[in-house]
Amino acid sequence: MKVRKTVPAMLALIMAFSLLVGCGSGNHSGTPANSADGNAAGATASQNGNGAEFANKELEVAVFQGGYGREYWDTVAENFMKEHPGTKINITASPKIAELVRPKIVAGNPPDLMYIAGSDNTPILDGLIKDNALTDLTDVFESAAEDGGGPLKDKILPGVLESRSMSPYGDGKIYLAPFNFGVMGLWYNKTLFDQKNIPVPKTWDELFALNETAKANGRALFTYQGLYPGYLEEIIVPSIYSVGGQQALDQFYNYDPQFWKSDTFKQVWGLLDKIANTDNMLMKGTVALNHTQAQTAFMQGKAMFIPNGTWFEDEMKDAPREDGFQFGFLGVPGFKEGDPVKAMTNVEQIVIPKKAKNPELAKAFLKYLYTDESVKLNAEKSKAVMAVKGAPDLAKPYIPETTYNVYKAVDSGMVAVSGSFKSVAKGSKYNPSDEVYKPISSIMNKQLTLDQYSDKLFKIYTDINQELQQ
Amino acid sequence: MTMKLRRRIFIACCLLPGLAIFGLFKVYPTVQVFGKSLFLWTGIDDAPKFVGLQNFIDLFHDDVFLLSLRNTGFLMLAVPAVTLTVALINAAILTRAQLKERAFYRTVFFFPSILSFVVIAILWSFIYHPTIGFLNSGLERIGLGQWAMSWLGDQRTVMGALAVTMIWQAAGYYMVMYMAGIDGISPDLYEAANIDGATGFRQFVHITVPMLWEIIRITIVFSINGVLAISFIIVSVMTAGGPDRHSEVVMTYLYGQAFANSNFGYAMAIGVFVFIVSLLLALLSNRLTERRDA
Repeated sequence: MKVRKTVPAMLALIMAFSLLVGCGSGNHSGTPANSADGNAAGATASQNGNGAEFANKELEVAVFQGGYGREYWDTVAENFMKEHPGTKINITASPKIAELVRPKIVAGNPPDLMYIAGSDNTPILDGLIKDNALTDLTDVFESAAEDGGGPLKDKILPGVLESRSMSPYGDGKIYLAPFNFGVMGLWYNKTLFDQKNIPVPKTWDELFALNETAKANGRALFTYQGLYPGYLEEIIVPSIYSVGGQQALDQFYNYDPQFWKSDTFKQVWGLLDKIANTDNMLMKGTVALNHTQAQTAFMQGKAMFIPNGTWFEDEMKDAPREDGFQFGFLGVPGFKEGDPVKAMTNVEQIVIPKKAKNPELAKAFLKYLYTDESVKLNAEKSKAVMAVKGAPDLAKPYIPETTYNVYKAVDSGMVAVSGSFKSVAKGSKYNPSDEVYKPISSIMNKQLTLDQYSDKLFKIYTDINQELQQ
Repeated sequence: MTMKLRRRIFIACCLLPGLAIFGLFKVYPTVQVFGKSLFLWTGIDDAPKFVGLQNFIDLFHDDVFLLSLRNTGFLMLAVPAVTLTVALINAAILTRAQLKERAFYRTVFFFPSILSFVVIAILWSFIYHPTIGFLNSGLERIGLGQWAMSWLGDQRTVMGALAVTMIWQAAGYYMVMYMAGIDGISPDLYEAANIDGATGFRQFVHITVPMLWEIIRITIVFSINGVLAISFIIVSVMTAGGPDRHSEVVMTYLYGQAFANSNFGYAMAIGVFVFIVSLLLALLSNRLTERRDA
């Protein structure tokens, strides 16, 4: 009897999964065709490309096609070609763009401009940085912006161009150009907080005090994307900044081993230790969940807070949720009363490889991307916000209200923290973010103490430093 | 004479395309892997730096690699042993016991083999799901709630949980192979044994296993190599190497070094090492299972 019932259920499940998989591969199958078209078009156009403004009028552009789609790129390329008659831009788009461009780069024939994003793809940028294989873009940002009003760099959000993600060698030269930016921090169910009159916590103490409220509402206090502890960066990095300021953050990102003996470390990782060791704080089974499973559990009311970024709402638009669920963004609480709430930001990157065939036109196209018209177009087609001053307002008609509010909050008062690890030495076995974040699973499982963890990281940071000095 | 020559030319022509493809897609990349393993190379620049055997020396000082090697070793031992035992016993029962539902069971047990590995991995990560999972809910239902745990999130259980998935996936496939083999054994042997009063178990040990021995030897090699390939997909989807790298296997580590860490030369060294180890294992298992009379 039982068997008969479960077999059809299993079959249905399996069917559902195979359908899902089918969809996935369907998406991929479109890409090779696209790139093939692009190549073919390129071959014909290069024969008649010879004009006055640009010696070479042909541009190969490779872009990441993720949640934002490729429509923006197709449209902006068309607009650019209209304004610069005779030019020809070929767009190659793929969710796995790194895999597509890698063989071309190895063959010494890279695309002229690449927009690389998505965690599967960004490692290729680290490789290019390690190899010094990017074109210096400083002159692009020093030159006057297309729609006037001073140099282009004044249009970009403050601090972005100086950050390591854009100036990787710390010599003040910009090698990566900023594109869309995202804001990350803790999220909560706004409806629940409004209905039960729960105050939104401003400090960690207030947040931990909500544990009782969480329990009373039948949920854990906190969950995260267990299989990918890297998401915890979104609360760890702003917290390091909260406690130790920019100096501590520099220690953390520049591999100063002393960081792991500092008070900042003890306070920030103390938060995680507290979550791991206090009853009801960490949602049961969190460590074993992937990002979708954890985020779904959060939306179904199994946990009160979860770290994530501005893409959250769009990413989970089809996921089941508890009645009346509404996204609310909290940012990252401060440590003491009066500390401003913080948030982590990250900015996607565009590069021009050093071996690009047509860097001049690539730079012109890059500059064009920062015009108001293009920023607005990007918001309309991709629902994304570029790291340009005033971009949230240009994007307002096109993005969800919650998302707009998050961007606006960063624009007005919330402290935005960002950063990235210094490149490790070429050939190093260490992947800094893996080394730092992966062991947190063991802390959460109570199988690793903070002392063991800090000893381990102290040694790793010492090693990384040594490798860099060799 | 000319007839013979023509024949040879014809055979050579027939072999050529196959050899060319084999050379281009198997031999050439393998040689490249061996070559690149001696270089410091990010995988994107065009000027790899020759470092000799340094990559191989580094391998043995890399704790994560050694951990992943241990995990892979566990899978390579446990999964083939259990899979083949289960497959053999099931095959013997299904063929010898003359069950009415024989065809049905054969289909059901074979079913996992036609599913894609990704589907299997997703299916099992929901079976192990700590709260809504079939396994934990089942334990709670029968009153063993205190045994429920997050199987994939705990370093003590994660490798076992992955091994079970891989065994479930492969057992049916080998069972069908063994069933075909058993069907080829002359029924006379079993009849004679029956007349002599041998029990089912003795018949299994003294007739089925020896008569299948050559098939078993081949399946051992298949199974060991299968583990290497499948472990990559299962681990990537189900645990991403977690918690804290306790389910990292050499293939996931190789991929991470090559594509996430831009350490291509080093990744190729891992590849060479795995190649040599699996070759040795195959030879070893062949040698160990060789019958003295053969």
